[in-house]
Amino acid sequence: MVEVRNLAFSYCSRQVLRDVSFVVSPGETVAVLGANGAGKTTLLRVLAMLAVPDAGSVIMDGQNAFRRPMRYLRQLGYLPEMPALYEDMSVKEYLGYRAKLKGEPSKRVRRRVSEAAELCRLTDIMRRPISMLSTGLKKRVALADALLLRPRVLLLDDPLAGLDYQMRESAAEILSNAAAFSSVIVTGHEISDFAKWATRFLVIKDGVIASSVENQGTDPSVSGERLATVLEGGAR
Amino acid sequence: MSSPVKITFFRSIGHARNLYSTAIAVGLFLAVSAALFVYNLACAEGTRVSLAVIWASSVAPIAPALAAFLAMDVWSDELKSGRIDLLLTSSVFERDFVFGKFYGVWLMTMVAVLLSFVSTVTVLGALAPGSLFGSSGPLAFLPAFIALLLQTMLWSSISTAMSALTAYAPAAFTFSALLTIALPRCGWLAIMMFSGKGRSWFGEMPLDADVMDIASGVLSTSSLAFYFAGTLAALFITSKAVMRVRCAGRGGRGRRAASVVASLLAIVAAALAVRLAWRYDVTLDLPVSNISTVFSQRTRGVLAESSGEITATLFLARNDSNFRRIGHLLRTMKREAASHGGARFELRFVDPRWDIGDAERLVRLGLEEKSVMLTRRGRKVTIAIGEEFGEQDLTSAIRRLTTPPQRRNVYWTYGHGEARFDDYGSFGMSDIARALSREGYQNSVIDLTAGAAVPADCALIAIAGAKNAFSRVELGRLDAYMKEGGRLLVFTGQNSEVGVGPLLPAWGVRMIVPSFKDAPTLSGSDVIASAFAEHPLTSPLKGSRIVLERPVAFASSAAVGESSATERLEFTPLATVGEIAVAASIERGAGAGSDVAIRPTRLVAIGDPGFPLNLSLSLKANANRDFILNAVAYLSGTESAGSSDSRADLLLTGFDRSGQLRHLVWSALVLPAVVFAVLFLIAMRRRHRS
Repeated sequence: MVEVRNLAFSYCSRQVLRDVSFVVSPGETVAVLGANGAGKTTLLRVLAMLAVPDAGSVIMDGQNAFRRPMRYLRQLGYLPEMPALYEDMSVKEYLGYRAKLKGEPSKRVRRRVSEAAELCRLTDIMRRPISMLSTGLKKRVALADALLLRPRVLLLDDPLAGLDYQMRESAAEILSNAAAFSSVIVTGHEISDFAKWATRFLVIKDGVIASSVENQGTDPSVSGERLATVLEGGAR
Repeated sequence: MSSPVKITFFRSIGHARNLYSTAIAVGLFLAVSAALFVYNLACAEGTRVSLAVIWASSVAPIAPALAAFLAMDVWSDELKSGRIDLLLTSSVFERDFVFGKFYGVWLMTMVAVLLSFVSTVTVLGALAPGSLFGSSGPLAFLPAFIALLLQTMLWSSISTAMSALTAYAPAAFTFSALLTIALPRCGWLAIMMFSGKGRSWFGEMPLDADVMDIASGVLSTSSLAFYFAGTLAALFITSKAVMRVRCAGRGGRGRRAASVVASLLAIVAAALAVRLAWRYDVTLDLPVSNISTVFSQRTRGVLAESSGEITATLFLARNDSNFRRIGHLLRTMKREAASHGGARFELRFVDPRWDIGDAERLVRLGLEEKSVMLTRRGRKVTIAIGEEFGEQDLTSAIRRLTTPPQRRNVYWTYGHGEARFDDYGSFGMSDIARALSREGYQNSVIDLTAGAAVPADCALIAIAGAKNAFSRVELGRLDAYMKEGGRLLVFTGQNSEVGVGPLLPAWGVRMIVPSFKDAPTLSGSDVIASAFAEHPLTSPLKGSRIVLERPVAFASSAAVGESSATERLEFTPLATVGEIAVAASIERGAGAGSDVAIRPTRLVAIGDPGFPLNLSLSLKANANRDFILNAVAYLSGTESAGSSDSRADLLLTGFDRSGQLRHLVWSALVLPAVVFAVLFLIAMRRRHRS
């Protein structure tokens, strides 16, 4: 379980996040929604320890993640908004390199890589160089990287951006599978897609959590419409 | 290497291997360093500078540019592409990434240096094989490698730090080049142009001087401290620069400020460590092959025994071909003396082209250009610089400065066919006479037939290869002199009837005509002796060799039986070939329990009448000169001994203009082009596979 308590963050005089608190339970997928510049990416960067908050804490297993960063990072998978990969490597080489870098013992690297590749449906393109992949496939490789060691916390920054319908469908399936072993926090604007597999929505406005909505709808299109209404209300 | 360091290291290597720019950089590096090497080699032709030193001095100025190029994108590319986020969200400490990337850059730079060595050896081996390794073998290049290893370590770390401080690779390269090339060299030029004091302190650019010192086997703790402290400080700064990426936002302000302060403190700590190491500097000799010691035992002994403050002024133009060699000699002597607790050396460099005022002052003092002046407590010794100028000249000068002034006379007998010390021909002894003068002895002639007794200021009597018999009177005078604690140096041939041959058995020495079987020889008629006794005269000569022409052998005569507790007689076979003694010493005098103040009689016999001749001493790679100097020192009671400096071989490639051109084409064009093509193909194959 990940608990975010009273998180605040600012760039110089500009307050980006204010008193953000929420809890993500194991197996739960939380979609953070909001207008551009609302603070979604910053929230994920703070949670990925790429930015230092002004105040607040992230508690995992009862311990403050900022106090024991290495232990926390070991259980974290992070997909940045615009993932940059090593273009001179093949998919297999890249995932192997990342698995080793994340501390996976050499004998288990191959298994981890094939698991992640299978999960993200990359098995056919494992030998292909990353430079030859489309944006969507690159994103999938980056997703496989984030999922490599089956992290307990998965932070996905706009994973569906720039993907076509088919790719989005496939990514949605991957993410719903990933939720089986991770607490997923995802940001983006694809409300109708999120509505299919997110368990909860957090609407963020001007750095504050404006509302938290449980996704109880069985019909995704209905949920999507309802969420859009909530979002508009939050944005208003 | 821990795992994340290893993974990052291999990634850095793999990344660089795939780039065409790496092939271009390494090819250019090889071409430029080879061109410099060809130029430096031509300048050093006929001098005593070693090939390894020339090679290191040619590679060192280019190495920072290569390191800056190879390191420019190791961090900046990660920062610019945003991959830094992926790296920093891995559970890996920043320092592991920093070390991994640094090792990668360092190794690639050293591989390029190694390629330069291989290229040098290959081309020179084919074009001038005789000049390649001299008597030291390929291991002679090891100190040069250590010098370059240390310098590239520092350049790689600084370049890595610059790459972490900016997201633009060209900017990182520019900053690195400014810090590692422009700053030291422009600083040096500024000192040369605007600071008279600085000019007199520094002989040449300290970084170049350091390469030369280490490449010739002298490694000081202050140098080590400089490179290691500098590298650690640069890596620490890199780590802090990477860490700052994590500190975005107002909440990270404190950490950002702390990282800047920590970086500044790291620089200060490194500077203090270097200062401390400089204060307590210790010189380490790199034990490699037969260049196990940089200075002879004699020099070390003289330096260790020296005290006070010695100012050495080198009055020589900086563009003189001897400047680097002599500057290096003075620097290493200074370090050697300091590490032995001897005299404190202060070095002054006066370039007559730049330091006109100082030069005029020196000329007024009677000093000529191209000379070294050593001063201590108002005494001064001046040595003119010639091609033969070296360690021995400086050591003799230091000894003259540091020992109390005294008149020591070596009396040479004449009139029985002996060689003359004022004869400059091949069969004269002017060479050894000059060496003795440098040691503070005065050479004089003694006439034993005249009525007067042996003068009181006689340190020893030397008989250099008498061909005729001495008269009874002369033998009687000599015997009387010896009985009163006299000292005799005899160079004798196989005829025991001539010279003082009849006198020797009475003093414990018997001459034998030997038969040398399988004895080592140079020309067939000479014999090489390399086995020396544990004796004050020969102990420092261990590892050297003396060459004697058809020598006579010595054995102890019946007089040994006279040895008793009160009348001691010691026969020592000083130098032997197999079991045969070709030089021997006798000490006869007070034994245990006697009054030790009684001066013992000493006799040194060398079984070759031509041993002290100019012709014999001009032979290279022998310790004949040191053997004689040691014998004179032993006999005169100084007992400060020396060893041969036979390592200083002349560098002779024999290249004429076309040879130099061929050398340049092969080493600066053909081989770099081959290396470039191979690296290019590797990168292309890799990309093609991709």
